[in-house]
Amino acid sequence: MKALEAYKLKKNFSRNKQVITAVKDVSLTIYPGEILAFLGPNGAGKTTSIKMIAGLIQPDAGSVRIMGKDPHRNASALQNLGAVLEGNRNLYWRLTPEENLEYFGVLKGLTRREARLAGRDLLARFDLLAKRRTPVQQLSRGMQQKLAFAVALVHRPQLLLLDEPTLGLDVEATEDVKILVREIAAAGCAILLTTHQLQIAEILSDRIAIIQKGGILAEAPTQKLIQQFSGTAYKIEMETALDESKILELEILGIQIEAQKVIYIDRLELLYKVFTILQPFPIQSVVKEQANLTEIFLQIVKQGKKSDG
Amino acid sequence: MVELFFAELKRTWILQRRYPIEVIGIVIVTVSIFYGLFLSARYVAGANFQLGDRLDSIIIGYVLWSLVVFILGNIANLLQYEAQTGTLEQLFLSQFGAVRVFLIRALASVTLQLIFVLTILLSILLLTGSRLDFPPALLLPLITVLMGANGIAFAIGALALLFKQVSQLQVIFQFGLLFLLATPIETWTGFAQVIANLLPIAPSASILRALMARGESLNFTHLTIAFVNGVVYFAIGLGLFRLAERQAKSRGILGGY
Repeated sequence: MKALEAYKLKKNFSRNKQVITAVKDVSLTIYPGEILAFLGPNGAGKTTSIKMIAGLIQPDAGSVRIMGKDPHRNASALQNLGAVLEGNRNLYWRLTPEENLEYFGVLKGLTRREARLAGRDLLARFDLLAKRRTPVQQLSRGMQQKLAFAVALVHRPQLLLLDEPTLGLDVEATEDVKILVREIAAAGCAILLTTHQLQIAEILSDRIAIIQKGGILAEAPTQKLIQQFSGTAYKIEMETALDESKILELEILGIQIEAQKVIYIDRLELLYKVFTILQPFPIQSVVKEQANLTEIFLQIVKQGKKSDG
Repeated sequence: MVELFFAELKRTWILQRRYPIEVIGIVIVTVSIFYGLFLSARYVAGANFQLGDRLDSIIIGYVLWSLVVFILGNIANLLQYEAQTGTLEQLFLSQFGAVRVFLIRALASVTLQLIFVLTILLSILLLTGSRLDFPPALLLPLITVLMGANGIAFAIGALALLFKQVSQLQVIFQFGLLFLLATPIETWTGFAQVIANLLPIAPSASILRALMARGESLNFTHLTIAFVNGVVYFAIGLGLFRLAERQAKSRGILGGY
């Protein structure tokens, strides 16, 4: 069963007698155990989409199903949903971690005993047991973030919404969050993640959806998207400098050479011809040039702007 | 729902126990204001100051008013505070639904606030030397007070959901209610009496004055009027809150501040 199925979501807002289209056509599907990175520039419609999925904003059109249930019509659908929507702001700062977990567990339908037990497990898993009786306001930002995750997971949801989960965290806390996200997905929970840190999205996500001006511009498995944008460029580094005759032979093929040692090949069919020419010079490395997510993101968003213009 | 009530009660209790100065401050200020007014009245009246059961009636009106002011803050203040701190949206992500969550929350808060109000009442009685009756029958009109007050609290909460900042409006409501609860509407006659029965909480306050200040027995006709009054205001409050929730979700302003 699909953990999330959002279909053709649309939302317009009226501001000062003007109609602003926040989301015009967003469809997303996530399966259990899958991490979907939902990327887009500021104001693209990410948060509005996530809040429509969570039942916090009523869509003008389209539908949402969480484990087959519509959160806008059936509140029991929320039993399968956990959300960290505003960084660590889903916590009562005057309460301790175990008090927060007990309260939010009951709010999500557990008994107080179940919430206490589940909370204790999560505190142990997230390495927060020693701080269980410290008011949240006295915890570090990283600990607060981990606790925010624990609170969102206390009722064992099937779908977790994470809006900018690493925003404002230091390097160590960011690494902790990355490990947690992987663990949570490995346990079978589907995760919808928004972030501006594209490196994190690249490392964590199974699939990527890029949104701009309320519409999805691209959606594909992360590795496929990277492959698609990486093309067929290769970079060969030689151990020693090539002699002039070899360089001439390569230049006849239209190959670029840098400092007599680094060779750039932009077509796959030339690769083996180049290998033949290079014999018997020793090769240090052959690397297929990969696009990174930042380049891909910028390229897609740029193309989107062009097609709008 | 029972689990949620005890979880809310525990949460509210922990917050008040951990930060007791806030509660103690409110109790002291509430008692001091009344005692200040009492001393001023005694000074103006001179040596012949004798209010009798009128003082008792005023005390009941004032203490009821402080209870109602606490209740009015339960929903609107919490909504504004939680929208600021960021926990508000989590409450709307509960499978119980926002109305039930806030209703249980109001009930849990009232349970503790009744203790504070009793402390205020006993302090005032001690300071003024007044004596009141506490017949068990007073629980019935008290329930109607709680229904009416929570109805108004939900209505103000509905405005807080949509407009976020409603503290000025709350102050206006508080003074209006002071007039309603302290005024002896039982002395009104004819058309004014009909109007009095339509005003929020006023019929309940009138019964409590009769029971506690004048030592009268429970009048079931008056109790029925107070009950209908309480139910109607409660239903209106809940209805407005539901409408506001729908509007806030439609306009995308639920968690904003």
